[in-house]
This record gives sequence, C-alpha cells and structure tokens, in this order.
Amino acid sequence: MFANSPASVAAGAADAASISDARLVAAARDGDTRAFERLYRLYSGRVFGLCLRMTRQREIAEDCVQQTFVKSWRNLAAFEGRSAFGTWLHRIAVNEVLTHARNHGTRSEGVSLPLRDEDEDALDTAADANDAADGADVMDVEKALATLPAGSRHVVVLQAVYGYSHEEVAEMLGIAVGTCKAQLHRGRKLLRERLGLQELDS
Amino acid sequence: MKRSGDPLDALLAQVPQHIALARDLWPQIEAQIAAEVPGAHVSLPARRWFQLAAAVVLVVASSLVKFLLVQRSMQQQIVQARNEVVQRMQPVLSAMPVRFDGHESVGMSYETVRAQLDAEYAQHIGHLPPLVRARVERDIADLRRSAREISATLAMYPSDSLLQDLLVSTYQREIRLMSAVNTMAASTAAGTDL
Repeated sequence: MFANSPASVAAGAADAASISDARLVAAARDGDTRAFERLYRLYSGRVFGLCLRMTRQREIAEDCVQQTFVKSWRNLAAFEGRSAFGTWLHRIAVNEVLTHARNHGTRSEGVSLPLRDEDEDALDTAADANDAADGADVMDVEKALATLPAGSRHVVVLQAVYGYSHEEVAEMLGIAVGTCKAQLHRGRKLLRERLGLQELDS
Repeated sequence: MKRSGDPLDALLAQVPQHIALARDLWPQIEAQIAAEVPGAHVSLPARRWFQLAAAVVLVVASSLVKFLLVQRSMQQQIVQARNEVVQRMQPVLSAMPVRFDGHESVGMSYETVRAQLDAEYAQHIGHLPPLVRARVERDIADLRRSAREISATLAMYPSDSLLQDLLVSTYQREIRLMSAVNTMAASTAAGTDL
C-alpha cells in the first residue's frame, strides 16, 4: 500500500543502489575490473566534484581522483560495507587531497585564491547542468567557495555540499569537532559577505 | 539542509555534488591496477609482519640454541681442565717425600713432573697480565725460598715431623700454583674463565 509513496520510492532506490554497489564491490574484490570500472563510472563525478572544490585546481583534482580509485582497488578487502561505498571513496579522496597538499605545499590556509579560468569552466559546466535560472546563482556560490581559506572551505564543502556530519567531517580532515564547527561558522560568515546575504546564523 | 529558511543554505543546496570529468581517467587507473590483485596491499603489511615475526623467532631460537651449546661446551672445557689439573697433580702429590732419613727423598716421578710443570709455567707465565704475573712470581719465589730453608733445617733435625709436613706442604703449594698458572693460561687461550 505504501510502496508507491515518495518516501518509500526514495528508500527503495537507495537500497537498490547499495545492493548494486555491494554486488559490484564483491565482484571487484574478486578481481573483476569491469565491475570496478562501473563503480568508477558511477562515482568518479562525485569524487571529482569533492576533489576540485577542495584543491581548486583541475589537474591536481584529477590526480587525486585517479589515486583515490587506485587506492580503493588496492584496499577493497578492507571495505566492510559499514558505510556507503561512496562515503568510503570520499574518505580516501579527502585523505588523498590532504596528502597531496602536505607533500606539495599547496595548502593555502588563510589565502583567498580566485579560480583559474579552466577550473571555472569545469564548475560552469556543473552549474549549467542545474536549471538555467539557478545556474548563475550556483556559479556565484562556487566562486565564493573557491575564495574561502582552505580550512573553512574543506569543512563547508564536506558539510554543506556533501552533507556529512560534524563528526564525519572532523574524522575525515583529522581535526577536532570543535574546530570543525568553528571553521564552518567562519566559512558561512565569509560566504554571506561575499554573496551579499544577510546574517541569519545568529 | 537543516536551515531551510536560510538563503545561504538554499544556495548551497543547489551546488551539484557531481562534476563531470573533462577526460576519462579509467585507462590510467586500469593500467595501474591491471597487475594487482584487489586487497593485495591490505594483506601485504600483515604478511610482512608475519614474516618479520617469523624472522625474529628464528633468530631468537637459533641464538638460544647456540648459547646453550656454547655454555655446555664451556662447562665441559672447565670440567675437563679441572680433571686435567687433578690428574696431573695426583702423581706429583703421591710422589711427595714421606720419609726423611737425614735427607728428604722426593722421588724421581716428583722431580720429573715438577720439571715438566716448571717448564710449562715458564712458558705460560709471560701470558698473564702484568699485575697477576708479578704476584705469582713473588709467591713462587717465596715458596721456593721457604722450601730451601725448611730443607736446610730438616737436615739438622731429620726426625722432626712438623718440618717434614711443612716441607711437603710447601712443595704441594708450589705445584698447585704452577698448575693453576698453566691451567689459567690454557683456559684463557680457549676463551674460558676458571
């Protein structure tokens, strides 16, 4: 009777997706590269979106995506299915971005960098995929996000865009939950200023 | 989003999670993973730990066995050296003078063994540490001087049993000291410590 309600349809779709993921992961774990390629096709866009927003440079983001999938293949045996496969991939991706920043000194804490043209194009394409009326607003948000200091930007992207909790974000970034909350507050404040929005957080 | 009335949340909610890659990264990924078994890198550290643990156990076990063997060998050498000393001392002590009829009679076997021990002593004394060597040489000299003096007195009082016992005791102490020096030098050369 409730099978066709919107909530049950959404839950059913999520279940079907996780079952599908589980099958693909199981097949990939057995050495099936075709199954792993399907996982790549399913998740690479989401992983790239996260990496691009965290690094703000397409080449680095692509490197991080590549390494994320290579490492996830190597560690498939360690994936226990307690979280969604996409979440597990995101954890690896965040770690990859942070490792890259540490190794190459690209972490620009406190420095506001504008997006480069080619990186802006990538975000433009994503914004265009939304409704035409909202496309301009989304692009503004993307540009404002890109100007945030790294610490705040990482937290805002993971929490406000990808929907992770304070605890999950803190664990992913290796910071305290309190720091995470402070960075979110700071990031939101800066975003409001740059987007010309009124303060509602207080 | 929780803050549905906040325009910032509304804007952030519109930001797409998915951004299409400008180029397909699969060929590079496939090339990197082609030769690898999934999960191999997870089990590799565990396997390495196991190998390391096995190597440590092997080293410890072989060291223990070697230690026990060396210790047993050293104990055998010590026992053997002691037995040699006793064996060498036995004929010497049994050849000691037991009767003094005007002149003490030490017997031929005593003279032979003593001469042999003295030759070995002369050979080994040089290998001892300087302080030990000086002490031993002084003690030997004292014992020999005492033996000469007791022997001279015994010539005057041949029936004095106290002098006879004293002379035998002095000879025995000289023999024991020379044997100890020879044994010590031999055990030092063999790496054992008596």
